[in-house]
Amino acid sequence: MPQCDTEYFGVVSYEDSEAIEFSAGLPGFENCHRFLPIDEAARRPFIFLQSLEQPGLCFLTLPVLAIEPGYQLKISAEDVAAIGFEKQPSIGSEALCLAIVTMAEAGVPTANLLAPIVVHPGNRRAVQAVRDDAAYGCRYTLVSIAEVAPCS
Amino acid sequence: MLVISRRPGESILIGENIEVQVLETGPSRVKLGITAPRTVPVLRNEVRLTQDQNRAAAQGIALDRLAPALSRLRPHWPVTTPPAPKITSSSRSCRR
Repeated sequence: MPQCDTEYFGVVSYEDSEAIEFSAGLPGFENCHRFLPIDEAARRPFIFLQSLEQPGLCFLTLPVLAIEPGYQLKISAEDVAAIGFEKQPSIGSEALCLAIVTMAEAGVPTANLLAPIVVHPGNRRAVQAVRDDAAYGCRYTLVSIAEVAPCS
Repeated sequence: MLVISRRPGESILIGENIEVQVLETGPSRVKLGITAPRTVPVLRNEVRLTQDQNRAAAQGIALDRLAPALSRLRPHWPVTTPPAPKITSSSRSCRR
């Protein structure tokens, strides 16, 4: 069973069939192709995407429907073909759709709904599908500023 | 910002070797043709925003702030979420 070093989970053993493959990498990380989704029951619905090539690289994600229940997926024909679908997939029943969460040092956590990660669960191919419309933003606020006032 | 009006078929030049041609205009979008050297990256602005956002997201995950974020978010999540494909097996062992 292969293993990988991770920043947050120590050494993780995994099955090759669990890894997902971004043939084009991710914007800004074009050379990172293989990731391991880490879906720990205790941290659901968060899903971690751990790079299998760079131990220090791990993205925090949330299912887009957990953020925006009415989210309308719209990915380009090239992206649809790149991950092996024949037509626009629907979220949940056909494709896993995740939004990358950014936790700025002191700021409010945000999620990128402009560019969801779309995974074909059958062949494990994935793409970060950057929308070409302005229907959703890349810094969707997960909690309002008032809600993240420091706890004392 | 420099503003220039162009019709389909007309183009503008940027520097010595970049040409941006208006190919088609529609009610809500414009199709552009860009001729540029291979060394000049041509990106949709959304891709640039996502590059920046991914780089910021890769800076680190404050695990200690996950639980508070979760507890604040949970009440807002839908009661019924569509079944997501299961993507990890339960056989993984984690060592710390």
